[in-house]
Amino acid sequence: MLIQLNQKQIKLQTELQEYFENLITPALKSELNQPEYFEGGGPEFKKAMRTMGSDGWIGLSWKKEFGGKELSSIEQYIFVETVMRTGFPFPFLTTESVGPMIAEHGSEWAKEEIATKILKGELIFGIGYSEPNSGTDLASLQTKAIKQADGYLINGQKMWTSLANFSDYIWLATRTDFEAKNHKGISMFIVPTNDPGFSMSAINTLGDVRTNATFYDNIHVPETHLVGDLNQGWSLITSQLNLERLALVNHGPVEELYKDVLKTAQSTKINNDQCLSDLSWVKHNFAKVHSGIEALKLICWKQTWIMESGQLNMAEASVAKVYGSEFFIEAYRLLMEIMGELSILKNDSDLTILNARLERMYRTASILTFGGGTNEVQRDIIAMAGLLMPRTR
Amino acid sequence: MDFSEQLHQAEIRDSLEKILSEHCSQENLKEYDSKFKHDKNLLSLLSRNGYLGLGLNEKYGGSGEDLYDLGILFEQLGYHAAPLSLSGCLVDVAQTMQKFSNERSCKEILSSIIAGEIYTSAILEPSNQDPENPMTTATIKNDQLIISGTKYLSEISSIAKSILISVNSSEGVLLVLVESDKVKLTELTSTANSPLFKVELDSVRISKESIIHEQGRGLEALRYLIQINMVMRSYIALGITEKMTSLVAGYTSEREQFGRVIGTFQAVSHRAADCFIELECLRLVNQQASINLNANLDCENNALVSKIWAGNACHKISYSAQHLHGGMGVDKDYVLWRYCLLAKECELINGSASQNIDRLGVNLTTNQ
Repeated sequence: MLIQLNQKQIKLQTELQEYFENLITPALKSELNQPEYFEGGGPEFKKAMRTMGSDGWIGLSWKKEFGGKELSSIEQYIFVETVMRTGFPFPFLTTESVGPMIAEHGSEWAKEEIATKILKGELIFGIGYSEPNSGTDLASLQTKAIKQADGYLINGQKMWTSLANFSDYIWLATRTDFEAKNHKGISMFIVPTNDPGFSMSAINTLGDVRTNATFYDNIHVPETHLVGDLNQGWSLITSQLNLERLALVNHGPVEELYKDVLKTAQSTKINNDQCLSDLSWVKHNFAKVHSGIEALKLICWKQTWIMESGQLNMAEASVAKVYGSEFFIEAYRLLMEIMGELSILKNDSDLTILNARLERMYRTASILTFGGGTNEVQRDIIAMAGLLMPRTR
Repeated sequence: MDFSEQLHQAEIRDSLEKILSEHCSQENLKEYDSKFKHDKNLLSLLSRNGYLGLGLNEKYGGSGEDLYDLGILFEQLGYHAAPLSLSGCLVDVAQTMQKFSNERSCKEILSSIIAGEIYTSAILEPSNQDPENPMTTATIKNDQLIISGTKYLSEISSIAKSILISVNSSEGVLLVLVESDKVKLTELTSTANSPLFKVELDSVRISKESIIHEQGRGLEALRYLIQINMVMRSYIALGITEKMTSLVAGYTSEREQFGRVIGTFQAVSHRAADCFIELECLRLVNQQASINLNANLDCENNALVSKIWAGNACHKISYSAQHLHGGMGVDKDYVLWRYCLLAKECELINGSASQNIDRLGVNLTTNQ
């Protein structure tokens, strides 16, 4: 057993930190401060993605045939952790969950055209799972793909298609067999957003993160856009979700915020002799956040290590998702308590702390307890796969 | 990064599981509910099979200095609610001496511990919040120490040959081994009927040779003892909470109400799932702490994090388990109740979660 980063990995961390200091230019920073570019998609964002791609960072653990470096999943995790610490809206769902699925199960075209370009930072995906009437019960989805002589004809509507407003493709779950039981008739497609049959309308959220309703009106895709076998899409969805769940709860951003709030509290004078961090209840909040981060870090490391051996365990992926998402909410609350009323100020005054990052992060955290598979379903999975209890009804 | 157990560790776990599940049957445990909770036969069985040498160097007859190995032993003792309290002996005395005593003393004492001789420690003091600063004192006179003070929660002291005691002196903190017949012992009755004692020292005279460490390293040795004790006791907590969680899974998968197994109700399965999550976190922070202790890193914060998770897990899982078992959870003919009482002791010994959050908070805001 060895539970720490090795020298090479620590070096990689430092190297990446320096790399991002140079990559994240003032121009990029100011672009990311504009509400329409909070999640990325602007010209500076695109430029940075391509630079990361051509510098070989996006696919550290990917196979060489796709342009990767074949390092371990741990190096890949360190990369994502470090980029997320900077606040750059890295499209990790594309690179960490959809990309690997396409690389493994895609057609020759998809492997050559799509997987390699994801690695180069040239392509972004939105994920088309939920529908107006299919959320937690995802397998009831109704978007159709009908077989035609030279491919498939797609019709339907998806909800919460985040990043669709600047995505190149949608990773789309469709129904292809209408007779089979729900989850046995689903297939996955790569659907281009520049098709005339594709449209969307914006959904603005409490976190000031834009998401979308997306519409698919007689979109024709060739056979090569099918990923995996026909009607075998459900296993791709669950594998993708396992990868997504780990990526969602990366411990980097919350630890970065913890460190920054600690520094701020240590330098915030509350009277002539005391700083904020001298108050005992403030110390308690820091200790609670720290001990929570330690567990999260270890859960993520263990998951990453398990991934390396190729046997991602369902119960453990769900543990990461439930624990991480609920911990974020608690951690942001405890950190906001420390800074008190200052932490509700937005980014437009000289009183604002930490560039209002705390204020924004708490607002974007709430989606994680239901996004990526609601925590109730995760707990069902834990009880079933982890404790071998009977299936809940 | 590697989270897997080595082959020999899996073997230790398997064979301890075999020995302990055979030895800690409901019937055997019942016998110890009302008498001195120390199973001599089990102790000599463990000794014969080399398990008292886990975490100790081969040159003393041990099986190697890996603290994770020792953690497995404590986890298993907790899991089976074994009538053995060995953290004073195998952790406080053996591990601290291995690190801080000269080879001659180690050879003598560690090999006798491995052979089944009992030693113990007396570190905690009633209403002293800071074990690193003992209220028990030693006056140094020529080559003698004169010790006075009161310790408590000392394990199996009545059958121990000597007791490792922490004291303050003009030379700072000292750790000294005092023969048991020189102190006054009073047996305490605790919530889980653990064999705990109050230890009173009234001007006890011992030779300076009884100090187990080099001059000037007493505080360092005491800090190490406290950290490693916290971590190893957190492994006991891990075993206890693992057992409670598996009892929950088993019971709720069989008990039927409203014509169905109660484990199929989400309210039930989700509470069980929360136990599983808590358990996984505790396991991981324990593993990290024991591995960092192996590597000689300063582990105070790691140990505190382990203890905080252990304290919370003991509390939460114990009450979830009792609740989900209904009346069975409190019935003394079923197994759960013993674990619940042990969990409360584990939660509070070495400081509660709240107290350790306070300590950790001080470290985090001042040491950086």
